[in-house]
Amino acid sequence: MKSLTRLITLTGASVLAAGSLFAGAALAQEKYPSRPIEFIVPWGPGGGADQLARKVGKMLEDNLKVSFPVVNAPGATGATGMTKLLVGQPDGHAMSVYIADTHALQVTGATKWKPGDFKALAIMVQQPSAILVPMDSRFKTWADFEKEAKANPGKLKVAVLGLGSIDDVTLRYLGSKGVKTNAVPFSNPGERYVSILGGHADALYEQAGDLRQMLDNKQMRPLLIFANERVAEFKDIPVSKELGYNVTLPQFRSIVVKAGTPPERVKFLADAIARAAASPEYKAFLKDSYADPGSYLGPDEADKFLKHEMDALSALVASVGK
Amino acid sequence: MDVISQLGSGFANVFVPANLLALVIGTIAGMLVAVLPGLTLVMGVVLALPFTYQLGITPAVILLTAMYITGTYGGAFTAILFKVPGEPLDVPLLWDGWRMAQSGRPAEALGWTLFAAFFAGILTVICMVAMAVPFARFALKFDAPDYFAIIVFGLTSVVALGGASLTNAFISLFVGLFIATIGVEETFGAERFSFGVPLLADGVEYLTVMVGAYGVGEVLVRFEQGFKTTPMAMGAKVQTKLPSLIDAIRLRATFLRSSLIGLLAGIVPGAGATIASFVSYGIERQYGANGAKMGSGCAEGIVAPQIASTASVGGHMVPLLVLGIPGSGATAVILGAFLLHGVQPGPQIFQTQPQMVYTLFASMFVAVFAMCLLGYFAIEPLVRVLYFPEAITSAYVVMLCFIGAFAARNNLTDLWMVAIFGVIGYLFERLKFPVAPMILGCILGPTAERTFQTTMISFQNDWTVFLQRPVSGTVMLLAAVALGVPIVKAWKDTYIPAIRRGRK
Repeated sequence: MKSLTRLITLTGASVLAAGSLFAGAALAQEKYPSRPIEFIVPWGPGGGADQLARKVGKMLEDNLKVSFPVVNAPGATGATGMTKLLVGQPDGHAMSVYIADTHALQVTGATKWKPGDFKALAIMVQQPSAILVPMDSRFKTWADFEKEAKANPGKLKVAVLGLGSIDDVTLRYLGSKGVKTNAVPFSNPGERYVSILGGHADALYEQAGDLRQMLDNKQMRPLLIFANERVAEFKDIPVSKELGYNVTLPQFRSIVVKAGTPPERVKFLADAIARAAASPEYKAFLKDSYADPGSYLGPDEADKFLKHEMDALSALVASVGK
Repeated sequence: MDVISQLGSGFANVFVPANLLALVIGTIAGMLVAVLPGLTLVMGVVLALPFTYQLGITPAVILLTAMYITGTYGGAFTAILFKVPGEPLDVPLLWDGWRMAQSGRPAEALGWTLFAAFFAGILTVICMVAMAVPFARFALKFDAPDYFAIIVFGLTSVVALGGASLTNAFISLFVGLFIATIGVEETFGAERFSFGVPLLADGVEYLTVMVGAYGVGEVLVRFEQGFKTTPMAMGAKVQTKLPSLIDAIRLRATFLRSSLIGLLAGIVPGAGATIASFVSYGIERQYGANGAKMGSGCAEGIVAPQIASTASVGGHMVPLLVLGIPGSGATAVILGAFLLHGVQPGPQIFQTQPQMVYTLFASMFVAVFAMCLLGYFAIEPLVRVLYFPEAITSAYVVMLCFIGAFAARNNLTDLWMVAIFGVIGYLFERLKFPVAPMILGCILGPTAERTFQTTMISFQNDWTVFLQRPVSGTVMLLAAVALGVPIVKAWKDTYIPAIRRGRK
């Protein structure tokens, strides 16, 4: 019985080994791209990451004449989708959207991957986040909010995406500066927005770009934007830097492939993405989502950017605690 | 008057070829998606979204909305005929629907769902058109404790599902709630019961439990019996059997209650069709005139969940259009379609895009008719499927279960889960444990936990808040009654006679 098991194991192993050898050989010769390139979105449909992938995927399809099927693999703040990318072959037939909240997991949570496990093709979107209130809120300015938060520490409720997210880290940073609030997690965007419109929370932490319809309809207004310089569309709203808060943690969305993908394939994809990002259509997409017009960063700057964000977050978390 | 004339021109617009084509495609696609178990309505709408990029905004939104409405109805077919719910929202419908089909009345069961979906569809669109703005205000009143109370009430519908033993029902429910806790906890991110296995850390998708325990489990039971059960439709009338008007009027109270529940659950973001369906079944069981008989194949048990889930669609569209808030997965995708076309839903949309909005409203009316027409003609051929040898249909059921489960997340682990829960479903059936409460626990468990955690954080661990707020307090009280009455009754029925016997 035992020998039979061993026989099966051995046969299995040799088949696997032969298979991978064959795959390796095929990898070297195969024309690229030889089949559709999977575009993984580690988030549910309809959100920002999903919209980005569908927009860019379609532009790449037109450009490269290869199909880029978008595959949603939501779960565990993006970790499920990353795992999907990392268990595959590094042959350039899969890429994934990778966003700030998933990046933050490496600091605030435990991840099974390291920064070196994937290669960035581009940073596609950088959006500043903001503290927002409903239009008729009693807080006219950030100063009003700050004053009340200092008078009643931990009493004001701020709706956030989740605990351990960059939203939460930012609020804890503000707390360490004396502006203590109660971060209440609402992972469902609908509930998050209703929480302030219905008066269940006092303020909301969110990327302004995701709230375009509410801002344009004058249902909400920002009090404070987390950025170094004032944002063109919100000239009157103070930014964190000028108030002495050393926190920006922008929401970003990047595109990555598994490390070990042949360099010419990385270049092939990165160049196509660069062309897409330079198009007027993509520029309009950025403007519509209140993103930084200079959001796009090529593969080399993107790696530096990811490292910089990681360092900034680590330093921040070290100063306020996990 | 203005609304009427706007709606009139909306109807004229629906019959423009491009819009009408979008409507027909949306209706058919919604039906297909709903029939596939595991492939949910939300996923279907997502898959359809890229195809709408090329369309104008009006046909794009018409297509997605038509899919959304039809998707709340199509799953009834598989639920009633094969005991495989096409969508989570079809689970309560199956409890009575399948029983009715088993007793040789499949066409009658399908007729009731058709009638219910039609009634609810028309009603929900009328309410949406007439009362969009006040409804939207109402949506804002709900906070985390209220959601939690609604979910608890949904869980109490377990008392209706136990069959003979209330104790077994509770055991099954808690197994379901336990399964729901496996994996990474959503609020604090702690891993639970994962034992370091990545497969478990990912959590157990409730869809795989539902599809496995019902679909595959049922096939395993029949397999054991050698596929010998007499095909149920044999000898039964295959003709579509719509309920008579008198029968429908007899159920007027059910119609009223479940429509109201559906509309409200739709308007409240975070509730939705599935919860509406469960709550409506629970309420009917508790307060309906025929409540005690539910679970044995009565019309109320089919009508109540079907009406509530279809009625929730209009409810969901209200906060989306009026406030720009997507209350469910499907409406989030529809919002995405709006934004991709540069239209921002919100209070101004009635002024800035009146033509589009009223065309959409009118298209929903037409979609309800199209859905029912399609359903009406589909009933006969579908019931005929039951004439095939059981082994063959079972093979197809298993195949559809796996395809649907894979399509949902493109995740191979999910297929293992379907197989595992297929075996568990089979064991439950063999050991006379009801499967339904377990599924109920899996579906509602994560939401219950999340809303509870949010409440605790928001109200600084003050649990009395559930009883203090008007909405959550009332709902909690109803839940207590719903649970308490049957427990006391069961106790009286079993223990008091036993004690009396003991004294003698």
